Amino acid sequence: MQYPGGTTPALDAVDLDIAAGESVAIMGASGSGKTTLLHCLAGILRPTAGSVTFASAQGPVRVESLDDGERSRLRREELGFVFQQGLLLDELTALENVAVARMLAGVPRGQAEAEAAQWLQYLGLAGLEQRRLGELSGGQAQRVAIARAQVTGARLIFADEPTGALDSATSVEVLDLLLSATQQGRTLVVVTHDADVARRCARTVVLRDGRVVSDTAAAAPAVPATEVSR
Amino acid sequence: MTAAPAALPGARPAGALTTAWRLAPLFARRRDGDRLATVLPVAAFAVVTALLLVVLGGAQAFFRWDDDLAFTYEAFAIIAVVLLLVPLATVGASAARLAARRRDERLASLRLLGATTGTITVLTVLEAAATALVGAVVGVAGYAVLAPVVGLLRFRGEALGSQMWVPWWWLPLAVLGVGLLAAASAVVGLRAVVVTPLGVRTRQRAGTAHWVRVLIAVGVLLLGMVLMQMLGVLGNLGGVVAIIATLAAIFGGMLLALDALGPWFVRVRSRRQARKAQTVPKLLAARMVLEDPKAAWRQVSGVAMTSFVGVFGAVGLALTHMTSTEGMDADEKWLMQDISTGVLVTVAISFLMVACSVGINQAAGTLDRAAVHVSLDRLGVPRSVMSEASRRAVMSALWMVAGGSALCAAVLIFPLVGMAIFIQPIAIATALAVFALGFLAVRGAAALSARLVPGILARPERAL
Repeated sequence: MQYPGGTTPALDAVDLDIAAGESVAIMGASGSGKTTLLHCLAGILRPTAGSVTFASAQGPVRVESLDDGERSRLRREELGFVFQQGLLLDELTALENVAVARMLAGVPRGQAEAEAAQWLQYLGLAGLEQRRLGELSGGQAQRVAIARAQVTGARLIFADEPTGALDSATSVEVLDLLLSATQQGRTLVVVTHDADVARRCARTVVLRDGRVVSDTAAAAPAVPATEVSR
Repeated sequence: MTAAPAALPGARPAGALTTAWRLAPLFARRRDGDRLATVLPVAAFAVVTALLLVVLGGAQAFFRWDDDLAFTYEAFAIIAVVLLLVPLATVGASAARLAARRRDERLASLRLLGATTGTITVLTVLEAAATALVGAVVGVAGYAVLAPVVGLLRFRGEALGSQMWVPWWWLPLAVLGVGLLAAASAVVGLRAVVVTPLGVRTRQRAGTAHWVRVLIAVGVLLLGMVLMQMLGVLGNLGGVVAIIATLAAIFGGMLLALDALGPWFVRVRSRRQARKAQTVPKLLAARMVLEDPKAAWRQVSGVAMTSFVGVFGAVGLALTHMTSTEGMDADEKWLMQDISTGVLVTVAISFLMVACSVGINQAAGTLDRAAVHVSLDRLGVPRSVMSEASRRAVMSALWMVAGGSALCAAVLIFPLVGMAIFIQPIAIATALAVFALGFLAVRGAAALSARLVPGILARPERAL
């Protein structure tokens, strides 16, 4: 993968096979290619060479060969995102932010909001449904993002520094919630600087200058450090 | 391990002017490849200056006669200028706001770093004035291109021609005026940053529009109706100057009333739409408007004046159409024809200004919402859904602006001219054409600004 005008490849000879239900941490220094890899995997960026194959509900899909619309559909229906900024919509309430993902799939608003409310309740946000983002704490906003990532039944969740802006206690809670998704059969790919976050994942891939320099399984199985807050 | 560098003692703080002067080149160079955000305000100020000079050039062309009808032409020219000054001010304010938008965040950051209010104010004035002055100089060139074209218009049987050229010394005055307008608007817009620097950084909820605005607006409308009825009396007392001043006061008052009422109405309607929305574009559109009803209103408020002028123009055309030219001398026949031409030209220029204003506001809005576009794209939202949401947000406010202002104009003018004029086919056709053109202009501007979205999505890291 090379950016236009770039002199060196952002990603080079990366070969990864991520199994369903796995939790994978992608680590590396700033500029090592972590976020670029995540964007390529998620169909946000199209790699200049090589391929990304995703085992979708309809069978294997070559992500890089999909057009813009098809990649949007893939992200909408099969992938979920939890980023440092959350990528939530400021204008919408917590409930609407989650429901919108289902409404995009054609679900009527009433039903979409009912499903969203269940997820928010599950993630400990009951009573905060009508709050807007500015009225939520960083941890609460990340929970909304986690709810949005899961409400669609996404098979694969991408998280880019999901705990980057949170205090340590809230980070543990948010990571617990993300890891609990793998217990429901979802796959989790987390980009992180944080070694504590990586230790909690089943596998850690380390990048340097766009290349994979290590790919190791955790000594102990990845389990939540604490009970999921309800 | 080497020791951390020791803190250096600070220099003696410089005055606000000196500090701002030192910082200004830093920000002038800071382009980040975001050329559009830099070019747009310059282009906007260029349009403002060019249109201002064209309007002034056209108006002064009517002051060349000295016969019996000269005063009538001069009076109409003044009325046209008064009518065009408001949309012109709207474009100017839009341009100033656009220039300020890109500044707010870094000025807020400077405030957080401890820059004084004085430094921020001077820096803002310098930057706004510099942008506006560059734009205004380009605008003078634009006037040089436009003036000969507008000069082809014929009044009293002759083309305006070289009469469109204003005296040379008006040009630096216009450039200076546009620069001052930009600086003043920037300072007014700066209050939020200076008073609450964190407010800008954290995107606080916009102030809500209060229902008391409805009472104020109705009061102003009633006062306008009374004044319209008294035009004849005022004319007898103070002559044509009193009539023009009263008309200007009524127009200005009505626009202020609409501006007071509009955001409240937009908020009430959008809240209902947000509750009832069944599709993502409808929900997003309603919430986008509710995020800042005043901004949603401002985006299309220029249409208020155009609709207002449109209704007056339609009635004016109907009046000239119904007046028999039998027994009139050649000059009086010219006058009838020239009133029609004048009305159409005024409405056309007014539209041009509104289209510019909407285009500028829309482009600024799209750039402001870059992070939201990136966010929606990552969520897998199709671009068509994003476009529809943005279009709906603009058009829902537009219906209220156009409808409200046309209704106000009709209420004001109806007691004067009666139903016979209102139902004239030419009046109805003109009014419909005015609205159709207004909506097309806004749709066109919205479509144009939607073309910025692919660029935003191509470089999402800039938006986040």
